[in-house]
Amino acid sequence: MKKWGEIALGVVTSIGGFLEVGSIATSVQGGAIFHFQLAWVLVLGTASLAFLMEMTGRLAAVSRRTYADLLRERFGYRFFVVPLLAVFIVSLLVLTSEIGGVAIALQLATGIAFRWWAIPIALIGWLLLWRGTFSIVEQGTAMLGLVALTFAVGAVKLHPDWGTLGRALLPSTPSRDSARYWYIAVSMLGASISPYLYLFYSAGAIEDAWTIEYLSVNRITAGLGNLFGGGLAIAALVTAALVFEPRGIQVDRYEQIALVLATPLGRAGLVLFIATLCITCFGSTLEIALAIAYLLAQGFGWQWSENLKPGKDARFSTSYTVLIVLAAVPIALGADPLQLTNLSMVVTAASLPVTVIPLLVLMNDGDVLDTHVNGWISNTALVVIALLSVVLLVAALPLQLLGGG
Amino acid sequence: MGAVHLAYEVVDSQLVDRHEQKIGRVDALLLEAEPGKPLRVATIVIGAAARARRVGGWFAATRRALRALAGIRAEHESRIPFSAVRRIGDTIQLDVEERALESEHFERWLGDHVICRIPGASGASK
Repeated sequence: MKKWGEIALGVVTSIGGFLEVGSIATSVQGGAIFHFQLAWVLVLGTASLAFLMEMTGRLAAVSRRTYADLLRERFGYRFFVVPLLAVFIVSLLVLTSEIGGVAIALQLATGIAFRWWAIPIALIGWLLLWRGTFSIVEQGTAMLGLVALTFAVGAVKLHPDWGTLGRALLPSTPSRDSARYWYIAVSMLGASISPYLYLFYSAGAIEDAWTIEYLSVNRITAGLGNLFGGGLAIAALVTAALVFEPRGIQVDRYEQIALVLATPLGRAGLVLFIATLCITCFGSTLEIALAIAYLLAQGFGWQWSENLKPGKDARFSTSYTVLIVLAAVPIALGADPLQLTNLSMVVTAASLPVTVIPLLVLMNDGDVLDTHVNGWISNTALVVIALLSVVLLVAALPLQLLGGG
Repeated sequence: MGAVHLAYEVVDSQLVDRHEQKIGRVDALLLEAEPGKPLRVATIVIGAAARARRVGGWFAATRRALRALAGIRAEHESRIPFSAVRRIGDTIQLDVEERALESEHFERWLGDHVICRIPGASGASK
């Protein structure tokens, strides 16, 4: 019975945790320009994330180590500094974008410019990390994050052509504006497959003391959770396609994105959009700040746990404290949140090889996983994701120059 | 425990103290050379200088130069005799106290001077 409770909770966590500033912004921009055509990218990104989460969760449940632990232990310090630096920089950028997302939501709600909100958001987030436990952070953001279901309601109320949507779930090339198309595709993939998500997930498995008994919980959580989460991202794309595309509106400001739910749902739609943006970005802010602190603590072997009093793991709690404040600074100085989001999603996409390729090695290491090493399905998926990550690394910079901005 | 593969099972492993508190990872292993005796694995090193040398000579040299420029002298490194190893498993347990380790200097300093001045930092549990 307890286990089913945990499965339900895990699924809710993925739904609430999946949709955040990156997926909202990139999906809405994609839908506004290319109608449903980019929906397949969300299918690809979501499926990839589901596999990566299942594997890092299995790794933690079987080996009682997090993915970051194993990156250091199995590959040595000299290799470890590469993913450490890459994930640190990329996640800090994404953290800044999330704080920007919350700040924009508060600007839309109050009329007070977003830059004034950055530091208060960081302080409230910090206070929750300081006083809260792992389950408060995980479950609190998950439950409140269910407000994102609004996107599903919005999409259905606009009566999309299901046949067209069905066909868009398979890859296709654009008839026009291909640099922009692929640029948005890359940023959508960066928004779906973020390293902080699986680093946080594998640290969470240790915080929740998972064992081999939890392998089924892990599989269902990763699968169902991402199915729902990816579904919501597609709903955002569909809504934007039906609201913006016919009117020829290209989205380049958050004030425009905010209107995406006002067409199907009226004034309530605007309020619900603001609530969704605010809550999901705030939840991600907490998770990313923790994810970077986990990475540092596990890589260097410090004492860590979100369930300990900060005095018992001083370096760990100092890390998230400094990071969350540091990430708020660019927003407080007036950096454009939407441009920052687009940039950080592309940089995320480019960073994927250094965390995906080592996983391919670890998931086939019998010393770590014993009989729970990858089967051929997982290995095929992981090889495809690894190849995809290399393509993203090579394509990111040229596409940023050709299709960005 | 039979033969122990040093590079595979010891280097980079998580270290814990007597009370299972995490105290860093094995950053380097030293061999001891005493006149007239064979070399033996003698010491576990925990510290940033040892880690920097693992990345490469150039990295360690850059680190030294930057520290010299900033006027930082103290190198808070722990060298623990291999005889303190109690157990090699998921983690390596050492017969030491976290509070007594030089490599935990920064953890203690942060705890005593920064973290504990903020309300809600100490106490039994959250």
